[in-house]
Amino acid sequence: MVFCFLRSYRFTEATWKAFSLPNFAFRGVCHPGIFKPMRGIKVKGLSSLRTLVSDGESHVQPMPLVEEEKVSSSSVQSTPEIEKNYVHRVYDAIAPHFSSTRFAKWPKVATFLNSLPSGSLVLDSGCGNGKYLGFNPDCTFVGCDISGPLIKICADRGHEVLVADAVNLPYRTGFGDAAISIAVLHHLSTENRRKRAIDELVRAVKKGGLILITVWAVEQEDRSLVTKWTPLNQKYVDEWIGPGSPRTRSSSSITLESIPETENNSKEHEKDTESLNHKFKGTVPSTSKDVSSVQNQQEYVDEWIGPGSPRIRSPSSITLESIPETENNSKEHEKDTESLKGTMPSTSKDDSSAQNQQEYFVPWHLPYHRAEVGGASACALENGLAKKDDKKGAVVYNRYYHVFSEGELERLVSGMSNAVVVDRFFDKSNWCIILQKTL
Amino acid sequence: MRLFTHNMLSSNIKGVANGFPLRIEVDQVVEKQVDFHPDFLRNMFPKLEWKALVDAARTMGYTELPEEADSSMLESEEFLRKLHHALLELHLEEGALVCPETGRKFPVNKGIPNMLLHEDEV
Repeated sequence: MVFCFLRSYRFTEATWKAFSLPNFAFRGVCHPGIFKPMRGIKVKGLSSLRTLVSDGESHVQPMPLVEEEKVSSSSVQSTPEIEKNYVHRVYDAIAPHFSSTRFAKWPKVATFLNSLPSGSLVLDSGCGNGKYLGFNPDCTFVGCDISGPLIKICADRGHEVLVADAVNLPYRTGFGDAAISIAVLHHLSTENRRKRAIDELVRAVKKGGLILITVWAVEQEDRSLVTKWTPLNQKYVDEWIGPGSPRTRSSSSITLESIPETENNSKEHEKDTESLNHKFKGTVPSTSKDVSSVQNQQEYVDEWIGPGSPRIRSPSSITLESIPETENNSKEHEKDTESLKGTMPSTSKDDSSAQNQQEYFVPWHLPYHRAEVGGASACALENGLAKKDDKKGAVVYNRYYHVFSEGELERLVSGMSNAVVVDRFFDKSNWCIILQKTL
Repeated sequence: MRLFTHNMLSSNIKGVANGFPLRIEVDQVVEKQVDFHPDFLRNMFPKLEWKALVDAARTMGYTELPEEADSSMLESEEFLRKLHHALLELHLEEGALVCPETGRKFPVNKGIPNMLLHEDEV
């Protein structure tokens, strides 16, 4: 453990130098608490999960991440740091656990797949654990995903799969008969990348081919889920000074809460924010005008970011507080969820801000018994991409989501010259469209 | 990776004009029998790059495909059986796919091609 600690500390130093970012007092602070919890992790395979949650309302908020990433990316095909850290690495780490929870087939996806002619070649872009591969036994499926561990799970089940990026499919044009993109586009952090992913699907199918796209909606049927998410916003991007900000050990056992801190935030939230500020007062030095968000981010740092945390240049890379919540599908945490409800902003209060909020971190709880010591989770804890929650007995990851407002998918494809929307619907808190390639 | 997939894959490295077909480097080929599915074969045939398929099958050790093919051959059960075997029953288990323009190798391990590009390739 000591060695581990020292190693990670050195790594931190080097990393920071490499990025030449201000690291303030963080650099010198060794936080034994970070490592202590790690002892609790049992060594085993990883696991994973993702929620089919959505949230909601329909107004499109200017997407800060989008703009930032446009600047920092040399190409729309270059993966932004936020996706690497809060999508790819997370799914890689939680793949088996995630997969163990991904089996329910959405009826509308099933209907779509069953409607395809016998003998069709169906491309599943971002296939995850491959739950739709082979769904229609009269069709042939090829799945791809950027997560090697998820693709490995598909391959072990006998599916035809490859590791590839949905924004840059390695397919020649017009070879597929149909394509699906299920719960994928919401993990892309810029509008250009989301558009590009759709372009790629259209390109890959033949003329007349159908493409089903589903994304999480802002308008979640279960509004309480949204309270478990961490909203990302411009303030975080602009003012968050990074995980290297002064670290203060909070003496209280903190319940990190979801604070809807949007620019156009509603007054109702000020109350919540104030109460949180009060709660955190005295434990965390404020270094920013945006007291509440920074304080919560301090908590994020305390609880999530170890001395080994990598500094990341992208302003959108690390932000946010953690949310002590579980996925809607992990029963083991239901008790905790109940007990937390009293401390969380109420659902109704969240509605107003959620209307304009589309950028989130959505937590994934990887139970300790599924976390691999010395594996991905241990690394993630060391470098600050995951956090331990001893109360829940889980390693908590954050996954980046851009949830879609009503009509947003249609707007994304409205300028396309070679595809038209032939159907659109709302299903299980997801916005869905079916495109047809026309040229 | 099976050969109908190979017939679809193309190197998408930035600047590559024609990334198809990827050359196959074979370390290990595995054969697995699957159900015969003529609908799929008839549907795929018009989209296949035939020469690429013939070359790929040969690389994988299967030489029964004719050098030339046209749609009238789809009436032949014998032809369909050969096509079925080539497209669906030969698996590149270990090896690599090589970009025809740049020589960049995409590894294939445990039957899974890794087509991810590096930062400087997009």
